[in-house]
Amino acid sequence: MFARGYHDCGTPAPADGAPVTLEIDGATVSVPAGTSIMRAAALAGGDIPKLCATDTLKAFGSCRVCLVEIEGRKGFPASCTTEVAAGMKVRTASDAVNTLRRSVLELYVSEHPMGSCPDSSRCELETLAAAHGIDESRFAGAASPRDVCTPKPADASNPYFRFDNDLCIVCSRCVRACEETQGTFALSIEGRGIESRVSASQQQPFLESECVSCGACVEACPTGALMEKSLITAGLPQQAVTTTCAYCGVGCSLVAEITDGAVSRMVPNRAGRANQGHACIKGRFAYGYATHADRVTRPMIRKRITDEWREVSWSEAFAYAAAEFKRIQAQHGRDSIGGITSSRCTNEETFLVQKLVRAAFGTNNVDTCARVCHSPTGYGLKHTLGESAGTQEFVSVQHADVIVVIGASPTEAHPVFASQMKRRLRAGARLIVIDPRAIALVKSPHVEADYHLRLLPGTNVAVINALAHVVVTEGLAKDDYIADRCEAESYEKWKAFVSDPVNSPEAMEKVSGVPAELIRGAARLYARGPNSAIYYGLGVTEHSQGTTMVMGIANLAMATGNLGREGVGVSPLRGQNNVQGSCDMGSFPHEFSGYRHVSDDATRALFESMWKVQLGSEPGLRIPNMFEAALDGSFRGLYIQGEDFAQSDPNTAHVTAALSAMECIVIQDIFHNETARFAHVFLPGSSFLEKDGTFTNAERRISRVRKVMEPLAGLADWEVTMRLSSALGYPMSYSHPSQIMDEIAALTPTFTDVSYEKLDALGSIQWPCNEKAPRGTPTMHVGSFVRGKGKFYVTAYVPTHERTSSRFPLLLTTGRVLTQYNVGAQTRRTANMAWHSEDRLELHPHDAEARGIEHGDWVGITSRAGDTVLRVEITDRVAPGVVYTTFHFPESGANLITTENSDWATNCPEYKVTAVQVVKVAQPAAWVSRRQAEQTTI
Amino acid sequence: MNPQPATTLYVSKDAGSVSLGADEIANALMKECATLGHSVTLVRTGSRGAYWLEPLVEVQTPAGRVAYGPVRASNVGELLQAGMLDGGAHALRLGDVTQLSWLASQQRLTGARLGIIDPANLDHYITQGGYAGLNAALALAPAEIVRAVTESGLRGRGGAAFPTGLKWKTVFDQPATQKYIACNADEGDSGTFSDRMILEGDPFALIEGMTIAALAVGATAGFIYLRMEYPHAARTLAQALRVARERGFLGRNLQGSGRDFDIVVRLGAGAYICGEETSMLESLEGRRGEVRVRPPLPAIKGLFGQPTVVNNVITLATVPVILARGAAFYRDFGMGKSRGTIPLQLAGNVKRGGLVERAFGLTVNELVYEYGGGSATGRPVRAVQIGGPLGAYLPESQFDTPLDYEALAAKDALLGHGGVVVFDDTVDMARMARYAMEFCAIESCGKCTPCRVGSVRGVELVDRIRASSNGSRSIDLALLDELCDTMANGSLCGLGGMTPFPVRSALKHFREDFH
Amino acid sequence: MDIERLVAMANDIAAFFDSDPDKAVAAEGVRFHITRFWDPRMRREIIAHLHGGGAGLTPTAQSAVALLTNSPNQSK
Repeated sequence: MFARGYHDCGTPAPADGAPVTLEIDGATVSVPAGTSIMRAAALAGGDIPKLCATDTLKAFGSCRVCLVEIEGRKGFPASCTTEVAAGMKVRTASDAVNTLRRSVLELYVSEHPMGSCPDSSRCELETLAAAHGIDESRFAGAASPRDVCTPKPADASNPYFRFDNDLCIVCSRCVRACEETQGTFALSIEGRGIESRVSASQQQPFLESECVSCGACVEACPTGALMEKSLITAGLPQQAVTTTCAYCGVGCSLVAEITDGAVSRMVPNRAGRANQGHACIKGRFAYGYATHADRVTRPMIRKRITDEWREVSWSEAFAYAAAEFKRIQAQHGRDSIGGITSSRCTNEETFLVQKLVRAAFGTNNVDTCARVCHSPTGYGLKHTLGESAGTQEFVSVQHADVIVVIGASPTEAHPVFASQMKRRLRAGARLIVIDPRAIALVKSPHVEADYHLRLLPGTNVAVINALAHVVVTEGLAKDDYIADRCEAESYEKWKAFVSDPVNSPEAMEKVSGVPAELIRGAARLYARGPNSAIYYGLGVTEHSQGTTMVMGIANLAMATGNLGREGVGVSPLRGQNNVQGSCDMGSFPHEFSGYRHVSDDATRALFESMWKVQLGSEPGLRIPNMFEAALDGSFRGLYIQGEDFAQSDPNTAHVTAALSAMECIVIQDIFHNETARFAHVFLPGSSFLEKDGTFTNAERRISRVRKVMEPLAGLADWEVTMRLSSALGYPMSYSHPSQIMDEIAALTPTFTDVSYEKLDALGSIQWPCNEKAPRGTPTMHVGSFVRGKGKFYVTAYVPTHERTSSRFPLLLTTGRVLTQYNVGAQTRRTANMAWHSEDRLELHPHDAEARGIEHGDWVGITSRAGDTVLRVEITDRVAPGVVYTTFHFPESGANLITTENSDWATNCPEYKVTAVQVVKVAQPAAWVSRRQAEQTTI
Repeated sequence: MNPQPATTLYVSKDAGSVSLGADEIANALMKECATLGHSVTLVRTGSRGAYWLEPLVEVQTPAGRVAYGPVRASNVGELLQAGMLDGGAHALRLGDVTQLSWLASQQRLTGARLGIIDPANLDHYITQGGYAGLNAALALAPAEIVRAVTESGLRGRGGAAFPTGLKWKTVFDQPATQKYIACNADEGDSGTFSDRMILEGDPFALIEGMTIAALAVGATAGFIYLRMEYPHAARTLAQALRVARERGFLGRNLQGSGRDFDIVVRLGAGAYICGEETSMLESLEGRRGEVRVRPPLPAIKGLFGQPTVVNNVITLATVPVILARGAAFYRDFGMGKSRGTIPLQLAGNVKRGGLVERAFGLTVNELVYEYGGGSATGRPVRAVQIGGPLGAYLPESQFDTPLDYEALAAKDALLGHGGVVVFDDTVDMARMARYAMEFCAIESCGKCTPCRVGSVRGVELVDRIRASSNGSRSIDLALLDELCDTMANGSLCGLGGMTPFPVRSALKHFREDFH
Repeated sequence: MDIERLVAMANDIAAFFDSDPDKAVAAEGVRFHITRFWDPRMRREIIAHLHGGGAGLTPTAQSAVALLTNSPNQSK
């Protein structure tokens, strides 16, 4: 069932049509052509009864309770499937219609008697029948109810919802939601006539079926047949709060329904621009971590990391941390400490942390976890196009003719956007996938890639150059566009570079392993468009040439004129909810909010006058530099908000050595984590449900996070930073995050017109939002590039230092799985464990055969940096010579084997390429057992 | 010494004939002739449709074909002894079968070649006037073909009786680059077999009709949705399609015209609902056979979302004769708005069942008594059901009704696909009403509620009525009537929508059976 | 700081700019990048390393570090 209070107009809005005027029950109504009678009536305030219709799904016409009479037409057309026409006279409640409707409702009630549903007030059928004065069906006999006539036990296999066939009215809303909204096609109707039943895959329990548990079916169900288990026990919500999901960078707008102070259900906001009324298993169901028993709710300190933690008051914790930081700075200089902002926290919190570092610490040693994921995006797009952000809004994909997915697996990592993309692909858009692995989009129900360029990990730039070579040498470049919008000199230089035969597909085939003909075909398809859109993920950025590849992508888009309008563009798919925001907020050591370099005097002066403090003009340390500096003793104190280096950063041994060398690590998190093992002060964090603020998603969309419950530890994260700052002698005194946003707006040209008031009015805003774009900017670079003329960069292919050898013959690459999230701190504390309870190593059958490895065996994985043990999954999703794993579980130790190689421009780690050897072993690694033993004693 | 010229024998291989023993007769004849040293050539034809005479054996004599029938295996020896190969006298000798009034009085336009030719022999087909329609069509502009079909007055013979020319015009007017011809060969009505007879007895007529349709509307691909219960038809059709392709009547550059068209056969999986055109399209696309909402019409958004001509076998097989002999020729048959001829299928409890193709306007009386000869049991005829399992029952008092779309509609009945099933006076019409609901319940796709739930409740209601006392009966009869209203007015397609026809006609004309 | 790491970083940057046939342009690109993104202590150490012979630095990286000064970032 849908969110509380939602007015469902029955059928989706049509594409813009000329106004049509008609008469409904005597009232004149004017709606766009293509509108259904049902929608027209609903818009005019006179809802026509319905059961199978809902405005998120195409009209289906099966329930027959929405029948109407139309003057001059025979019979009783269904108002959901009949479009309006000029001059039409519709009667929605004539005697004949009412008789027919009541009779149909009685047929329903004959198999679904009144009072069957756990909560009749939320059963659309029972509500509708009651409104028609029906309390029982004259057609019913003793054997008519469904639980007698065609009984089937309820399916409670899914941890989050259950399906009770006895309550089903076979409206197919769930089946259609699975197809149209989610695009998974897991559900169908099996059997026919009265035996028709909803079936997950081949009549399997939901949990074992292809169902991805997105919940669209549950939400679409008009009765209690598909229902959240939480709702069966919780009862009616008293309150609903619109907020923003804290998982991936899609940034779904969600409505938290609250019963007795606790979230009883999470549903997507139908008005959410990013998610278009959809959500995934994580956003919709996996919020239970917020109240998990593992939550740390009391501040703690300890002198040495070998000491026991001691619970203290907030005041004592702040005083201790402040004293330690001051002591270190006194002994080792101002630049001996620093801070880390989190892409998981709000813009306001992130802004405060970097302000704390720059103003209260007096250093530019601030960085963010975006360093290790999308920093090359910022650098690459800023230099080529002029802005460190994606160019489109998500709905733009509905206008794309050719979609290119590079180094991303949207169905796993950005599922809600993947559903939008799949909808477009089903409508006929062509698809090019550039990925070492056969991601689900390569072939899934009703979607198949035209080209899958299955390159070797680490050869992205070779492939993008070869694609550019074809565009330029085959005359596919858009010369007028380039002449109009790009720097001529840089284009000529780039053109000469990519035209060089060394960059031809034939030459690059030897490097990337991608057949030249496929490259040529894909390049022609992309260049032909007419609207071609590139979406990419960490498979682009997390390389030693991450920035080069981002520039290569921008080059290709400029050369083919695929920037500056709907349906095209270069769109990074951000891994975390607020990667874009944390970068925007000045989290990088070299720049203030809005991507302005610290050496810029005017900008610095602006901040200095607002913050009343002198600011440094030199860039600070980046995260990996901090580790280096810690090891040489020049960096000794660190405030870390919501980040777990020890698990998520590469080369764990190196990271832990650096952390061990520091004198004061203050960690702010909602759970104990790997990094906390090296911390001296633990400040309990607050989850997204416990605070106000904003997140900025991958399309630059700023959305409100709203407090649903009080912080478990008493303080929201922004309050904690504020108190720490005050303890350091730099008082901050915001009474609400809206004031922080006002400060951001005052200091940041791209945010000038952003305010909570405006966010509440518009729902969300895509920056830039200022006097030039008061309602925000859905599409960037319209008319001209932000930097003026687009600049082409020469992007020579430079192989990574990481090479295979006889000792390390395989290339390991990494990714995510739908049901888990990043290091798993949240999702491992939810029922999502039912789907994915351990990381596995994907190995090609040939490589398995050669090593005598069988499915499910434990294997040891060794790289130049270290080793770990995983269970193996044999699959041809990976090519021979390539292995793959996810990294959601600390015991997997994926980062024990990743190396220190990093992107040349940003030091973003090269997670995606590690040369390894894989051998069969008898059991999990000794350190895993050790760690598990430790865990149980904590 | 010259070898004696071989005598040609004709035996039907039509499924109806085969079920009556035609294969055994053919085998016995060949074996016996071999034993006796007679040189014979056996041609397996379709059936002429006089099933009451099947298995029918025809012998080519200098004076023309001489027929014997119905032949039993035990008759073979004696027939040969009686000089059958020379047209010799025997009790089963029928002479020139076309001169029997049962056949001679028919007006075979669509079924002109049935029983005459080897169905997969293209030369036979052409000799008997085949492909004259296509040749004529090739000389016309597409719009002129559409006009000819429109002017002929041809209406869809699948049951809906929609003007074929209008449908084609709609598809013709669509600007799409890909259009389709989809032939509905999912003949699922009980008591109907005319589609099957064409498929088994004259498949080239269908192929030619589809090709003309393709030329008319600009389609390049055709699909025949054939029910899997017709394996003989599938075999014959496959042969004919292969031959047509080999001879350039299908494929690229048809007969040097520069036009392309080919046909694919898809087998259904036994769902009656897939005979409903939109369900058929769903099934053709590989989906669950479920009714689609109209609009959009299939002519605008049909198969795979492209403009599609969906026509029944008989409709398409009638197109060649219209093109070959002109719209006016065809239109001159029939009455009122029902032009041309209709292949009626006479079945059930009747003495002389089979295919009766006549111009519209024949009365039920003429069909049941003059062609059918009354009931097979010899008992009085009580009712006929016209138009398949969802057609109305007519009482004998209305047997003067002409078989014409409008005349039947005026009697709350329908012609449908032209099936007429005869019942004698032992029939229990309440049971027949229950059967109609049960049929609907079994065959309902389950999409819309009036059909999915209503049909089951309908069965339960009739059972209640039959078992109940007088008091509650009248309430339940009223409820059954309301249910019929709901199904008729509320159902998404004809299955639920037409189920009330047999139920209501039984209630109206045979109410005594419900007491 | 670990000088080998700094040398590797400088060389990685140089490898990108080295695609420019004009080595002076390449060196200036590297210099500018290091000035903009390296913390002053890192810049000091790489300069000191060059003065000590610059072992391990590629030619373009060497030229770039030679252009680096200890002077602060200039407003652009």
